[in-house]
Amino acid sequence: MKLDIDEILADMLSAIKGTVAENWKEVQSIANQFLQNKKERLDLLAELRINGDLNQEKFESYLEDEKLVLEAELHAIAIISKAIAQKATNAAISVLEKAVKAIISSVV
Amino acid sequence: MKQLIIQTKNVALIFVSFLALNSCKVTFVPSYDSKISEQIDETSKSVDLFYLNMLETTSDKDTSREFDKFSEKYVELEVELNSLLNKNKVRPLNKSSTRICEITLQLWQKYKGIHKKDDKLTNGEIIYNRKIFNDLFYAMQVAEIGKKLAENPPQ
Repeated sequence: MKLDIDEILADMLSAIKGTVAENWKEVQSIANQFLQNKKERLDLLAELRINGDLNQEKFESYLEDEKLVLEAELHAIAIISKAIAQKATNAAISVLEKAVKAIISSVV
Repeated sequence: MKQLIIQTKNVALIFVSFLALNSCKVTFVPSYDSKISEQIDETSKSVDLFYLNMLETTSDKDTSREFDKFSEKYVELEVELNSLLNKNKVRPLNKSSTRICEITLQLWQKYKGIHKKDDKLTNGEIIYNRKIFNDLFYAMQVAEIGKKLAENPPQ
């Protein structure tokens, strides 16, 4: 039995594509939820400022805090992206392992 | 020469066998921890309850919202946030979750400090603080879901 590197690479690529596509919707819905949360916070902030519930100093302080909240949300998305990369890489390695195991079992 | 080729083939076979038999896996994120996920959920609920109670049962028109009346609860919740931060800090490959916890703790301490300095909070501040912490805990939970996602083995 011959080790067909081209076929294995094509299978590995297909495994990677499958894994990423499978999880893309999840990333998209989470990113949309973060955007929706931000919109709600900014709407609320504007409303509270207009109603006089927040003075200018506190309004500006909260706007500054928004940068930190955005940083936290980007860190959460980074974890999801890394997790997808991990899953895709392991799916590709698994394809290679299966191919190599098949070769070994045919040789031994 | 022939013997050298055989030796090289043997080394290659050993390497490939090692690769195949040792189930190589890469790890970019830490494994999912259900206990931390539960703690995030519990702390999130406690913070939500803290602000909702303050909003519904007290007023900034009298002394019911003075800092001293809430200082004990602030400390109790800060201990929970510190605990979450420390649990995340000790896990390898966990810088992102750790940073989310640091930001949450930093804002918690900032808003506690404002309450202490002003000795009151307006309804607007309570509503906004509650919203910010709800969204930060959501980011923490998303991070945990990500770790769970990485664990699903490839088919």
